[in-house]
Amino acid sequence: MEISRRAFAERLALVAAAPWFLEDLKPPQQQQQQAQEPSALAKALAEGVRLRYPDRFSADDLSGVTRSIDGRLRAIERLYQTALTNADEPDFVYSVYRGAD
Amino acid sequence: MDVGFLSVVELGRLLRQKKTSATELATYFLDRLERIGPRFNAVVTLTRERALAEAALADREIQQGKWRGPLHGIPYGVKDLLATKDYPTTWGAEPYRQQKFAADATVVERLGGAGGVLVAKLAMVELAGGMGYTQANASFTGPGKTPWNPNYWSGGSSSGPGAAVAAGLVPFAIGSETSGSILTPAAYCGVTGLRPTYGLVSRHGAMALAWTMDKLGPLGRSAEDCGIVLAAIAGKDPNDPSSVASPPVPLSAIRSGGTKWKVGVPKGADKDIQAEVAANFRQALKVLEDSVEVVEDVELPDLPYGAVAGMIIAAEGASAFDDLLKDGRLSQLTAPEDRTGGYPALAISAPDYLRALRVRRPMQRALDDFLKKFDVLAVPTRTTVASPIDKPFRDGWPGVTGGANVIGPTNVVGVPGISVPNGFGVQGLPTGLSFVARAFDEAKILALGRVYQSRTDWHTRHPAIP
Repeated sequence: MEISRRAFAERLALVAAAPWFLEDLKPPQQQQQQAQEPSALAKALAEGVRLRYPDRFSADDLSGVTRSIDGRLRAIERLYQTALTNADEPDFVYSVYRGAD
Repeated sequence: MDVGFLSVVELGRLLRQKKTSATELATYFLDRLERIGPRFNAVVTLTRERALAEAALADREIQQGKWRGPLHGIPYGVKDLLATKDYPTTWGAEPYRQQKFAADATVVERLGGAGGVLVAKLAMVELAGGMGYTQANASFTGPGKTPWNPNYWSGGSSSGPGAAVAAGLVPFAIGSETSGSILTPAAYCGVTGLRPTYGLVSRHGAMALAWTMDKLGPLGRSAEDCGIVLAAIAGKDPNDPSSVASPPVPLSAIRSGGTKWKVGVPKGADKDIQAEVAANFRQALKVLEDSVEVVEDVELPDLPYGAVAGMIIAAEGASAFDDLLKDGRLSQLTAPEDRTGGYPALAISAPDYLRALRVRRPMQRALDDFLKKFDVLAVPTRTTVASPIDKPFRDGWPGVTGGANVIGPTNVVGVPGISVPNGFGVQGLPTGLSFVARAFDEAKILALGRVYQSRTDWHTRHPAIP
């Protein structure tokens, strides 16, 4: 089954961030291979994570972290394709608090 | 008397007729949990002392004619992410094996108030899967196994509730769903699972994975049982600001004859999925054909559900477990991939997370406008039967690339869904049929589930477990 690049980017993000979606949203093998090289930004962000916790990651671990960041970066593009205005607030409402006198 | 696979309704009848007692039932299910639970890695802690005390109280009240309702004297289990005083609450994760809370979660409190008898804390995927597990062995209790074939997964992250109900270890259990964690084990274990609307059931005392997406709900033997449990646990809770009052449509509402249900079937729902799953889905619609008008190939609004869900779960999960990330205790988790799975979220920017939350608002409206065209959407719950426990999920059933993703979009906006058993597929493993509807339309999906279960016997079948 063919899927669009946009849909594929979304699937990659899901695989990176929420693997419980995996069984419904497996990227086709060929496209998985095409997506193997993470972007420079993903590598830089992963390096930032490594610097924060320098003794926690093997080379394989860091490679996984980089791929995950890369997948999410691709998905973020879609978030900015949905038109919003300045007045569109997040879907939670801050409430001011006043306790008992 | 063999009561292991009786429904809440049937057990309640036995109690009312004084053919059994709450203490007999508690003892019976405690024995099954202890004897059979380990086969499926379904149980974390038996709550024997509490169960026998609650059962004794129920028996005294029943003797005195003080009926609390349909759950009075009925044993149940909870996923081990719900706080219970006097017993550990482990979240399925090694770093929390000894964790205790001083008070019960609101859901446990409400079930106790309804006369329920807590018999067990049930297994789950560690941290409800929040660190990105990719295979079944992701809990200190080991991989959850479906009682239909223990070489296959029970589903996650409510692995224990699914397996325990299917194996007749409890009549019902409470699970949680952030994105698929009730409906998936319901389908893989051949039981009925209900994901309520976000906020309908208080999250107070439940482990947080993603505050704006977590939902608690029942897994049981039938839609009717799930409705009974939901009625006991739903409603506003001052301890959970996101909780809401009970829905405007009574949970007991059943559509009477006349008008047909309008059922939307998403485009591609049964394409390029396992053949048996597709066949069972079509057969289920045929069973309902005199009650429903099916609208084929409906298309959800084209919005970035996956990007929003992925962003929210990753960012909220990394924040909810920031102590584990900071002090390095993630390394104690069972699944190797979970030991580093939370770190990528540290690279998420605050504006990107907020963008996801802003996009979700028009997404909610668009999906509601879409869902209001139908009574329910119907889809196969999962595109395959349960995965083998010894393989990564991606290698479990290679070649299955189709289906319509409904679990993701409906979870990200928080609308309700139900999965009912609708047959068997490869390896004799169960398959599930899902209905989803607009926010607070639990009555509709429960009612259609009841109609389906009144015409089939899939929900009464159970694995051969003595």
